[in-house]
Amino acid sequence: MRPELDGAAGPPVTRTADRPARGWAPPTGRPIDIRPLLGAWVNYDETSTGITRIEIGDWQGCPTVRVFGADRPAPIDWGEAAGAAFADGVDTVEAVAFVANYHLDFVTVILAGYLNKRLLVVDAYSAFTDSSRRVDSFKRDHFYLP
Amino acid sequence: MTTLRHLRAEDRLPEEAKPPGGVLDTEELTGRWLATDHQAAGVVRLELSRRDGALFVRAFGANGAQPYDWGEIEAMPYGSSVVATEAMAFSAIYDFGFLVTILAAYAKQGILVLDTFNTFTDSSGRSNYFSREFFHR
Repeated sequence: MRPELDGAAGPPVTRTADRPARGWAPPTGRPIDIRPLLGAWVNYDETSTGITRIEIGDWQGCPTVRVFGADRPAPIDWGEAAGAAFADGVDTVEAVAFVANYHLDFVTVILAGYLNKRLLVVDAYSAFTDSSRRVDSFKRDHFYLP
Repeated sequence: MTTLRHLRAEDRLPEEAKPPGGVLDTEELTGRWLATDHQAAGVVRLELSRRDGALFVRAFGANGAQPYDWGEIEAMPYGSSVVATEAMAFSAIYDFGFLVTILAAYAKQGILVLDTFNTFTDSSGRSNYFSREFFHR
């Protein structure tokens, strides 16, 4: 069965979770509350070879993401990227997750993070676009707010 | 010796290692994956296949006895490191016109963990939402 694109029984859906639990009440239209994501998150694993720190800020209600990659003698500042915040469902507004993309001239990284209690779990999906023949790779790191 | 550009230590090749290049082995990902939660309201089934060297995903959304068939799209496979030979994760993006869904998944010990990041592009007022689901073959 194809997703309901015609909206005959309310706005279109691709799965049950796209429908508000309370039925099609007038939408709140409220923006996602990104406050649970904000802060300077530090990797639990000091020896991680991935990301050492993530700073998530607020730009007019949208998250901004600044990543620092593990390296010696000092972490590598990836710079700031615009992020997008996500709630736990279609009729809630508290942020529980985010996505941000980094497009550099030798690699593209999708950062996909979510909150698990007071832990921020961040998965990095990296695709190399240079001629180094490095394999596109996945890496997970866990962060806390000091 | 050429120094490869990197964003973090793990982007570097291990000493004297050569990047394998080529195409990742996707055997750990391919097949039919079913949601472990029989009452799942999100994705209930994933079918991953390989064709002409590319990885494809076909997702099915919960809708009672007749799941929604999202159709097949190409997926991007990832290894566990820059010298891996086997894929253990993938990403893919569905654009339904009113909703964009990013699939981000990894396999571990026979379980596939799927995160979806859902952004509504219509005027329904629904919140963009995240889901996390588990699958077995």
